[in-house]
Amino acid sequence: MYIKETIAISPQNTLNNDFFEKEPINHKGLIFTAIEPKYTDFIPRKLLRRMGKAVRMGIGAGIPILNKYKNIDGIIIGTANGGINDSLKFLNQIVDYDEGTLTPTNFIQSTPNSIAGVLAQMSNCSGYNNTHTNEGLSFEGAIMDAKLLFLNKEVKSLLLGAVEEVSQYNHNLELLQDTYKEEEIDAFSLLKSNTKGTVNGEGATMFYLESNNKNAIAKIEDLTSISFPDNEDLLIVLKEFLKTNNLDKKDIDTLVSGRSGDNRQNKYYKLIEKEFEHSNVFTFKNLIGEYPTVSAFAVWLSCQIFLEKKIPTQIFLRNKKRKNKHILIYNLHKNRQHSFILLSKCA
Amino acid sequence: MKVLVTGMGAISSIGNNVLENHLSLQEGKTGITNSKFFNSKYSEVFPFGEIKLSNDNLKQELQNSIVSLEDFTRTDLIAFKAFKEAIKDSRLTKEQITNRRTVFISSSTVGGMCETDSLYLDSNFKKEQASKFIHSYSGTAHLYKIVEHYKMKGMTNGINTACSSSANAIILGAKLIKAGIVDTAIVGGADTLSKYTVNGFNSLQIVSKNHCRPFDDNRQGLNLGEGAAFLVLEKEKNCINKTKHAEILSWGNSNDAYHASSLSNDANGIILSISKALNSASIKNVDYVNTHGTSTKNNDYSELMGLSKKFKKIPPFNSTKSYTGHTLAASGALEAIFSILSINNNEIYKSLNVETPIKPFNIFPQKEYTKVDKLDYVLSNSFGFGGNCTSLILKKCI
Repeated sequence: MYIKETIAISPQNTLNNDFFEKEPINHKGLIFTAIEPKYTDFIPRKLLRRMGKAVRMGIGAGIPILNKYKNIDGIIIGTANGGINDSLKFLNQIVDYDEGTLTPTNFIQSTPNSIAGVLAQMSNCSGYNNTHTNEGLSFEGAIMDAKLLFLNKEVKSLLLGAVEEVSQYNHNLELLQDTYKEEEIDAFSLLKSNTKGTVNGEGATMFYLESNNKNAIAKIEDLTSISFPDNEDLLIVLKEFLKTNNLDKKDIDTLVSGRSGDNRQNKYYKLIEKEFEHSNVFTFKNLIGEYPTVSAFAVWLSCQIFLEKKIPTQIFLRNKKRKNKHILIYNLHKNRQHSFILLSKCA
Repeated sequence: MKVLVTGMGAISSIGNNVLENHLSLQEGKTGITNSKFFNSKYSEVFPFGEIKLSNDNLKQELQNSIVSLEDFTRTDLIAFKAFKEAIKDSRLTKEQITNRRTVFISSSTVGGMCETDSLYLDSNFKKEQASKFIHSYSGTAHLYKIVEHYKMKGMTNGINTACSSSANAIILGAKLIKAGIVDTAIVGGADTLSKYTVNGFNSLQIVSKNHCRPFDDNRQGLNLGEGAAFLVLEKEKNCINKTKHAEILSWGNSNDAYHASSLSNDANGIILSISKALNSASIKNVDYVNTHGTSTKNNDYSELMGLSKKFKKIPPFNSTKSYTGHTLAASGALEAIFSILSINNNEIYKSLNVETPIKPFNIFPQKEYTKVDKLDYVLSNSFGFGGNCTSLILKKCI
């Protein structure tokens, strides 16, 4: 399956060329907020008012693609939390009003599949529709789903994407799980911190995929994942993965590493980065923060690398200035879920 | 390559395992009652398809095999119970369970939100100290707890297409096997009663104060239920000397693209998902339909519309939600298991509480428990909020 176009709403100026031309935003604090587009250009105001942020961002990144390429065969979204803000707003109402009379808007929007549902409804896309919610492997599940559809020739085109929103509620829940840093931090020093915890980011990343490679940016070759591995398991998975795709370690030009600045995770990132000593190693969470479907942003970034766009230097952990044919993304979520996504450049 | 079901595990309000569920279906015995364990203002207002075991009962059963049940929510507990039954039924070896080529795909809409009050305190930061459920709220908390406990090393996936979630989990598992990416797929879902869903569905005014009556003209809404169901799917080659419960023959997935919480009256999405399933199996008819049949005005009308447009003569059909209530994310897998029980016993269960058929269709669902001569193909429908429509076709293994 081939990526023909990609759009990212993120805490950086990724909707325009500022990301490539200007100094990136050095976010401060524990929350990196997404820069949203002017939605009223393509979402009716009445509809927009009722949309939670996750749905809104999903529409904001997805509808331009659905409008441009008509009759897309299906929509697949990965989102760990969906409209969690609506979800917990509704839960608050339940408790605060002792299960009194409630309005259903928050409830309907809270189901993670409402993003793919609204996208289908707005674009009248009655084809394949699925939503993957598996925390740090939600987007990876969505890719696997897409891969099978193309493999079986069930579709010729797809909208594939990932969405995650920051809400005060999930921020609180993550704080209680010790996910974020205790000290104040800024984006550019996140990866140098050597303390526990990371920062909370958000965004919506969408891809238009087709079965043919004409004018494609990249090919999504394959993905794999494992949960709770020890070092040995993880290296075996990596080895198998490269072998399945007929590649050697030295064929990987760039490793996009999911380093989040959390020193409890560094041992895994170091382990994998060490395997690719001749490759570039690029990071991305020091620009946009950490969230469960953040690997979708890494795929967006890889597309920009293939397009030879000027990438902010802040992401160069190790720049060997290699030309990019193969990019491998390694991401880890909460020391539990590990994934590898392999991309290659199209001619 | 055929994908066969070699293991089944289920817990619902009509039984704590597959056998008990089967007996209740044969006897026409509903599980919808006043709730005993569910704590809500609505516990006495609505009847529920509540599982007849308390959390303590469930813990007692699991405590010998699991190190710590401290942070287990009810969703986790029933998921473990059904999962355990499914892998035992399939006689999966430890090697198979932990193999990289075994995928685990599950789903839950409620997840740990059944612990509403803890979640309220934690998400609003009402206390400095996190509650014991802090790592258990997500829809896939049960999934990774199972993965960690059984040391599963294969890929995992979680699906949330609301009430069609576990039907999509079955499809994805079957496709991964067919594509040769995995040899074994354990697929299903779990959902428990929660203030969240009861208040949510009630705000939409689709919960009935009486026992639900799917496909009756005077139906007044659904009953919420709880349940967990898992199926073990294997490639045919690996099924020698195994009980072959059924074949996952084909499927269809579509979106109705009409409304966030209701289906279109012309049933576009439903017709599309059924058509895809029939076409890819190259068949025109099935012997029985296990409907989504929630008993809401909207669902049952649209579903019958879809069936009547798709089939010259609507095959015998029922809604087993008249026994279990709507078990949300678990319902697709639970009803796939019920469909398989029908297939293997050549029987169609009575659809409960129907007196007057829906106008203008004037067709009754299955009125009595019936033994039939031929029951080789079953269509099982699952639809969800967001327009998600899924149809599965299961086939008898001869």
